[in-house]
Amino acid sequence: MTDAHPVMLTELEMDALTELVNLGVSNAALSLREMVREEVLLSVPKVTIMTREDAIASLGEGDGRKLVAVHQHFHGDIEGRALLIFPETKSMELVRAVVGGDMPLEELMELEQEALAETGNVILNACLGTIANNLQHSLQISLPEVVYGHGAEFFRLAPPPNVADGVLFIYINFVVRERDITGYIAMLLDLPSLITLKGMLGRFIERVGESGIVTRSHEA
Amino acid sequence: MKPNEQDREQSILDAINGGLILLDTGGRVQSWNAWMERASGFSAAEVTGKTLTEIFPDTDLKRLPSAITAALASSASTWLTNALNPNLLPLRSRSSLPVLHDIAVSPIGAEPVTGCLIFVTDVTMTTNRERYLRQQQNARYDAVVESAPDVIITLDHEGRIQFANPAAVSHLGYSVAELIGKEAVELFETRLDFVATWRSAMASPLSTRPIELVARRKDGSQTYLEASASQWKTGSRYFVTVILRDINQRRATDAALRASEVQARNAAAALTELNQTLEQRVQDRTAQLTSAEDALRQSQKMEAIGSLTGGIAHDFNNLLAVISGNLHLLKHDVAGNEPAERRVKNALDGVARSAKLSTQLLAFARRQPLAPKVINLGRFIEDMDDIIGKAVGEGVTVEVKIGPELWNTLIDPGNVENALLNLAINARDAMDGQGSLTIEASNAILDADYVRMHADVVRGEYVLIAVTDTGEGMTPEVMTKVFEPFFTTKPEGRGTGLGLSMVYGFVRQSGGHIKIDSEVGRGTTIRLYLPRSLQIEEQLVDIDAMPVVGGNEMVLVAEDDEAVRDTVVALLNDLGYRVLKAKDAQSALSIVESGMPIDVLFTDVVMPGTLKSTELARKARERIPHLAVLFTSGYSQDAISNSGRLDENVELLSKPYTRDALARKLRHVLANATQKKLMQANFDAALLTGKYPAKKLLSVLVCEDDPLILYSTIELVRHMGHQATPAADAHTALSILATKPIDIVLTDVGLPDMSGAKLVEEALLQNPELAIIFASGQDQGSDVSSSNGAITLPKPFTYDALAEAIASAARKGRRP
Repeated sequence: MTDAHPVMLTELEMDALTELVNLGVSNAALSLREMVREEVLLSVPKVTIMTREDAIASLGEGDGRKLVAVHQHFHGDIEGRALLIFPETKSMELVRAVVGGDMPLEELMELEQEALAETGNVILNACLGTIANNLQHSLQISLPEVVYGHGAEFFRLAPPPNVADGVLFIYINFVVRERDITGYIAMLLDLPSLITLKGMLGRFIERVGESGIVTRSHEA
Repeated sequence: MKPNEQDREQSILDAINGGLILLDTGGRVQSWNAWMERASGFSAAEVTGKTLTEIFPDTDLKRLPSAITAALASSASTWLTNALNPNLLPLRSRSSLPVLHDIAVSPIGAEPVTGCLIFVTDVTMTTNRERYLRQQQNARYDAVVESAPDVIITLDHEGRIQFANPAAVSHLGYSVAELIGKEAVELFETRLDFVATWRSAMASPLSTRPIELVARRKDGSQTYLEASASQWKTGSRYFVTVILRDINQRRATDAALRASEVQARNAAAALTELNQTLEQRVQDRTAQLTSAEDALRQSQKMEAIGSLTGGIAHDFNNLLAVISGNLHLLKHDVAGNEPAERRVKNALDGVARSAKLSTQLLAFARRQPLAPKVINLGRFIEDMDDIIGKAVGEGVTVEVKIGPELWNTLIDPGNVENALLNLAINARDAMDGQGSLTIEASNAILDADYVRMHADVVRGEYVLIAVTDTGEGMTPEVMTKVFEPFFTTKPEGRGTGLGLSMVYGFVRQSGGHIKIDSEVGRGTTIRLYLPRSLQIEEQLVDIDAMPVVGGNEMVLVAEDDEAVRDTVVALLNDLGYRVLKAKDAQSALSIVESGMPIDVLFTDVVMPGTLKSTELARKARERIPHLAVLFTSGYSQDAISNSGRLDENVELLSKPYTRDALARKLRHVLANATQKKLMQANFDAALLTGKYPAKKLLSVLVCEDDPLILYSTIELVRHMGHQATPAADAHTALSILATKPIDIVLTDVGLPDMSGAKLVEEALLQNPELAIIFASGQDQGSDVSSSNGAITLPKPFTYDALAEAIASAARKGRRP
């Protein structure tokens, strides 16, 4: 799996993007803490960009690999969709972490959809919002939707896949109420949006200077 | 906007069957539709221009205000469900009942955002219906579970408690919140037993047989419970429900009954004796005192001899290690020079014999390291029938009598075998090859009276093994000396005279008691009393049947004796390992802390210095998790815990060891440690970067006795998209194969109850179309993968290797 993509980001641009993602995710942690009222630790081990086909191939098309995702659409200066994805078997862990307490198993399973939707909503909003604000452009972000399936299906949601589409993968890990959950955020962008994003990153780097110091814009 | 258009717009908003609120960029109400008026009790006029906080000052609006800010500042939409945010706004229906509602907050307009829209949906009916349905479904089940006097808990596939009934709370003293999420095994004292029950419940859909467990309540008190467990699944998730019945009353009653029976009997006997022989008793008493004193003196003497012997043996072992190691290296150096090779071989044979001698001495000195396992001696002795028969020869008839319901005992199986053989051979010699030998095993209780008469034994429950012969017997003088090392009544050259002393040492070190009864001309009975174990029987593993290979990992050697250290380093280098050395635990720890990427710590148990080797291992593991640790020892009394038993999870290689033994043991500990490490790392990565999507859904049976490796492998296989079923031993695997459709069997080569090869043989008999994968910690010779076209998967294996193996197995499978 290489980072080969028509729109190549320079190392500096990639660093800037990673910096923004880190900021976004730490804001997401704050928002999540507000929601669950417990310590939340979110970390971002890795950020990469790849083509949509590579992303589909890496997630597999098999009968197995069941995943659950919270999906939000965004449009504005750039357009695309963002997904927060977990393995289906971990979703119960997440629900319990978020809801807490000693709820019986059956009640917990009923809450699953709502808990996932709200959690995904909080995380994606914080992430996308932070990135948008720092790059000084606006994004309209839709309400969340929970979907089950395989990576291939998520990335083949309409409009039909285009060779030049890009997927920004963010592999995140979070710890809530002593539960350790690994998932990732994927942002799908079409070619025009990628080009726009590259431009924005360039202007951001100029504004902020090569040292890449970023200030927090989100209130806890 | 013209008034008509405004009216029309308003009438549309008022017709909507849901609450609609429009806020301006300052969060103040611009529009408040009719639904909101009805549900909130506030008219539009009352709320226009106010913020929500001003309209509902006494309500905790939770995330609503920040959702509004997010919409206005970042154009983000937020959803607040009733499930997670119940009763967010104080809304009532027309019948004054609370309205359960979801809230969606969205921005209006773009660049710039001109306001915020809040939409409230009534979900009361849906929620109530779901609740009703669930209650209906669960009513019958709940009635039983909630009111059951037995403790009922449900565990997920990781053994964590997901559900606990009221009886669980009242009996164990923990609140429900404390129980949920806890690992169930932590509740129990008898953890091995609990784990065994849970494992077998996970392995098979049948309920487990009830077994007795001991649990600890929150207040620290113990409770006896009878447990039965069964698995169930929902969707792709497995759960186990465990029912625990309180048997404290029953136990107390049984114990009390037994105690009072014994008391009654003793009282009756004492009374009779009292009546009959007063004077005789006084005489006997005096004699008893004398013999008790004799026994004490005898055991003190044995102690002294033991000390001396142990000390000599230890030093001797270190020297042997040097000689042995250097001879091995020399063997390589003289390869090709025939006479020299022969001489080296002779020297090595001599070393091997010396090593055996020193082991025997150590056995007597009660300082050999033991590896005890819980076994049932009845089965064990019956299995030895053949060997004993051969040892005693044709002229001796052997009879084995095993008592009913024989208790288990915690004992080193290798040494038991040795002990019994020694006793059998001694018996044969005493009978001069002709006579009868009887071996009996039964349960026994040594009470206070017995204990008073004999030194060095405690009251309690024991498993008694009695070996009786019809030989020439012993005089009382011989009986006092018979356990001393090198004492023998046999002519020169027949036997070393160490046999019985080894048996003595071994029995005593295992916490047991040994007694001889003999009559000249009639025969001898030797009784071994071994302490009872309440735990369930373990199964035995043999790692010696593996080929010898080296490796290139980094080994840290800690050894204070310079000659031994140099020899070990040379041996390890010869095997290909990279070696770091330290002369004591403290310097070894400094090396670990310097950050060197060490794979295995190979340390002597006893070294000078303030840091103990067990502490060293623990600290090293803090720095390098999953570090493989191998201890070695000539002898030790303190570090290997009080009575010479290995602590859990500690691997030990006794000195002196051959190069082969060292090589095998190292690979064994390395393979296990690496497997665990790899499992951890690859598990997370595997979730997201699997390059081997399953082409079709297969059913895989995973057979492996290490629980961490078993369950990690199951998770990996499931993430590849296949169905995976666990089995911790061969018998479970076979019963699963008989009841479930399985495509592939993935098994460890060494299983507790039969070899992996044998399991596969049996499995293929049942179903010739099975595809087989062997996983093992060593490179496998041809004997394993030969005929049935099985695939080998060397441990430690990565996610990719596992996927590849399963894919090939599926291709090879002779399924149509």
